[in-house]
Amino acid sequence: MRIPSFLAAAIVVALSAGGAAAADYPLRLDNCGFEIVLDKPPERVVAIKSTATELLLSLGLSERIAGIAFQDGPLPPDLAAAGAGLAVLSDRLPSQEVVLEVEPDFVYGGWESNFSGEGAGERPTLAALGVASYVAPAACRSVKPPELTFERLFAEMAEMGAIFDVEAAAAALIENQRRLLAGVAPDERGLTALWYSSGTRTPYVGAGSNAPAMILEALGLANIFGAVDEGWISASWEAVVDADPDVIVLVDAAWNSAEQKKTLLAKNPITSQLEAVIEQRYLVIPFPASEAGVRNVPAVVDMARQLAGLDFPE
Amino acid sequence: MAGAQVRRSGSSAAAALRHFSLPALVVLLLVSATLAITFGPAEISPGEAWGVILHHLGLRPESPVSRLRDAIVWELRLPRAVAAMGVGAGLALAGTVMQALTRNPLADPYLLGLSSGAALGAVGFLLAGAALLMPLGAFLGSLAALALALLVAQLLGGATPSRAILTGICIAALASAATSFLIFWTATGDSYREILSWLMGSLGGAVWSDAGLVAASLVLCAPVILAAGRALDAFAFGDAAAASLGVEVTRLRWTLLTATALLTGVMVAVGGAIGFVGLVVPHAVRLAVGTRHRRLLPHAMLVGAIFMLWTDTAARSLFDPRELPVGIITALIGAPVFLFILLRYRRIT
Repeated sequence: MRIPSFLAAAIVVALSAGGAAAADYPLRLDNCGFEIVLDKPPERVVAIKSTATELLLSLGLSERIAGIAFQDGPLPPDLAAAGAGLAVLSDRLPSQEVVLEVEPDFVYGGWESNFSGEGAGERPTLAALGVASYVAPAACRSVKPPELTFERLFAEMAEMGAIFDVEAAAAALIENQRRLLAGVAPDERGLTALWYSSGTRTPYVGAGSNAPAMILEALGLANIFGAVDEGWISASWEAVVDADPDVIVLVDAAWNSAEQKKTLLAKNPITSQLEAVIEQRYLVIPFPASEAGVRNVPAVVDMARQLAGLDFPE
Repeated sequence: MAGAQVRRSGSSAAAALRHFSLPALVVLLLVSATLAITFGPAEISPGEAWGVILHHLGLRPESPVSRLRDAIVWELRLPRAVAAMGVGAGLALAGTVMQALTRNPLADPYLLGLSSGAALGAVGFLLAGAALLMPLGAFLGSLAALALALLVAQLLGGATPSRAILTGICIAALASAATSFLIFWTATGDSYREILSWLMGSLGGAVWSDAGLVAASLVLCAPVILAAGRALDAFAFGDAAAASLGVEVTRLRWTLLTATALLTGVMVAVGGAIGFVGLVVPHAVRLAVGTRHRRLLPHAMLVGAIFMLWTDTAARSLFDPRELPVGIITALIGAPVFLFILLRYRRIT
């Protein structure tokens, strides 16, 4: 007989009523359509992608990180010290063997595609080896995640706090993020924006359901591709020019920097005619902050400052 | 008397068709171009589109639409339409010539690995920092793939159609793997999308310089190929027969193969490895106008242009505001046609 998970959780809660703040183990979670069971807080974690590493560091878990891989860029200044000594397993997607070599009990992937045969390993394979795996909920593809909101982002932070039995740290982190976010007043000039992520001939842009949409909304900007129910899409320059955005968000990645994008926009015979390009109305966001994670809120604060500095006639 | 009359009027109808099929295709191409540039995420009517073109040709003082909409027509849609037509014409010509020279109904720059070789050359030059020389890289790549294909054919003691295809599969696999490898290891992040546009073929982002490059390669190669129509007919009977008909077999073969490699290289440099156009178009045109190359070549060129224009228009407007690599559409059409040709020529393959 299989005990329903909520019932099991209720029993555990009843049994461990003594430790009020402590998480209840075994902890059962549904993560991206995959059930995870944890008997105790993970002790050796592999973090894949910057968003995963940064959340763990923000919760003060650097001691438990056995290795990091596929980092999208440098850590932000406030986390740099905590993350300085971490073992880098691979600059790109690590192979399963590289991951297993450090004997992790938990692999935290920023993208669901990190868990593939060519990558860190299929999730059932890892589970059979006693290694739990966790996909950042906003990056789930097996089950379409609901539209990303800051509340859902905070829920991931809280869940990570429960997994590692550091609820107090998670609560403090969420509290701090809420406070920062509350300090941002959405722009009220009724401006539209393009979220330009990458691509040259075919621009890859932020659409209506993931971090770009969430950040633009917090800034008070209307996303020109906001009607498309996807995180990001391959759009066309024509659709961009047709919408004629007031500001352009440039994602600053090591492989495709904001400066490269500015040059491209200024040289391209069509985008060079956009008012936003002529007037250089750009907002820049570092790539690791452009995916769902702890850097979204600070990015909103920073971009709101950039946006306030832009002048619009009339 | 009456019978003779009927026969004459019947043959004059056929003659009219023969004489007017090319001008009819030219008209169809122009009409297609006019219509195609009215498709897209932005709503622009045919009248406005033509107004913009006339304005830029200096025949109209004011553009009928706003500055940005004017740019959508003149800087985006028109160069892309011109590039699409040129790429279609070039690939169709290349396919027709290869089918004749190799006496292989399945020959096509994509199936024989030339397109993949060209993509490898283009990406290699691009990543080496020689973006301006990229078309040269594509030409060298397609030439190398062609040379490799011919060498393997020699080693096999003469290429049957199926041997040629197997060789092509091998070359294409090798070149595609090398292209993917180059992109994976020199670039980072989400560059797989760039790989897709090279391997699947896409005309997204084509600008006037691309259209100009395509046009220049056609101006250079098309007359050479069109003038060789009669000689290509002779090739159908074998090299010895062609030589006895006064064709300088070796020289002509190399001239035409070089032209084919050049066309393929330029088309790939602009649009990536767009498949099956060089296969589908010549076969479809043969059904309508027969196998004589003096008629087949110009018809294939025009039909190729029209075909590519419409498939690219579909690629950029079917999933508005998203874009699809056009090679997906040409493959969806081309692969079944490839099967059909396999069945039709089953005795010789």
